[in-house]
Amino acid sequence: MALFNRRLVLSLTHLSSAVLQRQFSTTGACRAIQKLTRVRVVDNSALGNTSYHRPPKCIHVYNKTGVGKVGDKILLAIKGEKKKALIVGHKMPGPTMTPRFDSNNVVLIEDNGNPIGTRIKTPIPYILRRKEGEFSKVLAIARNFV
Amino acid sequence: MWRAVSGARRLLRPLGAAAGGTPRAVPPPPRAPPGPRGGCAAAGAGAGAGALEAAAERRQAADTVLQKFNIDFVVALLRQENAKDICVIQPPPEIKYCDYFIIVSGSSTRHLHAMAQYMLKMYKHLKEESDPHTQIEGKETDDWLCIDFGNIVVHFMLPEAREVYELEKLWTLGPYDDQLTQMTPQSLPEDFIFGLTANSSDHLETRT
Repeated sequence: MALFNRRLVLSLTHLSSAVLQRQFSTTGACRAIQKLTRVRVVDNSALGNTSYHRPPKCIHVYNKTGVGKVGDKILLAIKGEKKKALIVGHKMPGPTMTPRFDSNNVVLIEDNGNPIGTRIKTPIPYILRRKEGEFSKVLAIARNFV
Repeated sequence: MWRAVSGARRLLRPLGAAAGGTPRAVPPPPRAPPGPRGGCAAAGAGAGAGALEAAAERRQAADTVLQKFNIDFVVALLRQENAKDICVIQPPPEIKYCDYFIIVSGSSTRHLHAMAQYMLKMYKHLKEESDPHTQIEGKETDDWLCIDFGNIVVHFMLPEAREVYELEKLWTLGPYDDQLTQMTPQSLPEDFIFGLTANSSDHLETRT
């Protein structure tokens, strides 16, 4: 009897892919990058690429609103230390004709603005150039632009 | 060193061509249409004289600062300031970043700051009101400053920083740069959810 039930359940799950063993609901991105957002470091710095048991998280956004968009500086907690970083792409759709990325990308920088890594492989949006701020260094070590 | 690899993609301007500070004997060719570059610009300008001249004049009237503040002027200024290792790179037009990418070295932090301030002063002196303002980026650092003039980007670095970042290799070699190839292929984080589209932002969506 139990076997028959289990087989029925399994066949049901096979039919409808929405119901599986593990199930949690998610929304699309409502706010770009705020406190406690997990981010992805995209440059080739040692700090960003060595694995750690916790993903790098944003702990502060240097902005009047607490939401960071492309070009904003944030404070990250990486490997037990605090580092500043620059947002170069987020999952939330932005203004029209600007690129939307599949992950929240971030480039580590020092307090004085120098990037810690030396190359960036992922595409960097051109809108960084128009913005007010010190982005020429990050654009100089980038390889692809979008 | 890397200067020998100049034949790879884009040409580097000849550094030892003109003596320090003196203006070049041959006047730079007018801003011809973007097809010909470098050495063949002279031939291109001579060939289609009539129509090209009219177009060039119209373009000259449009961006006057960038005519006066062009690459030769910048390089002459840098030579006058005793900048070491002036490297001018012309990125391929597919990378729509700038027309000229200049990297110079200075002997000390004060030297870098002085060069950057002087460059900015000359730009402000020559620009009209309609041209965009420029700022010096990296004033808090002591080894890397840069200024973005729209079509020209100038980076002032100390020799140590230049060795670390190797910007010349990146911008001339492109995808064959060795630092890029040495980068380990990046994997996505474990909590990455693929396929979440913007249309689903209004309602809850059940995903695995």
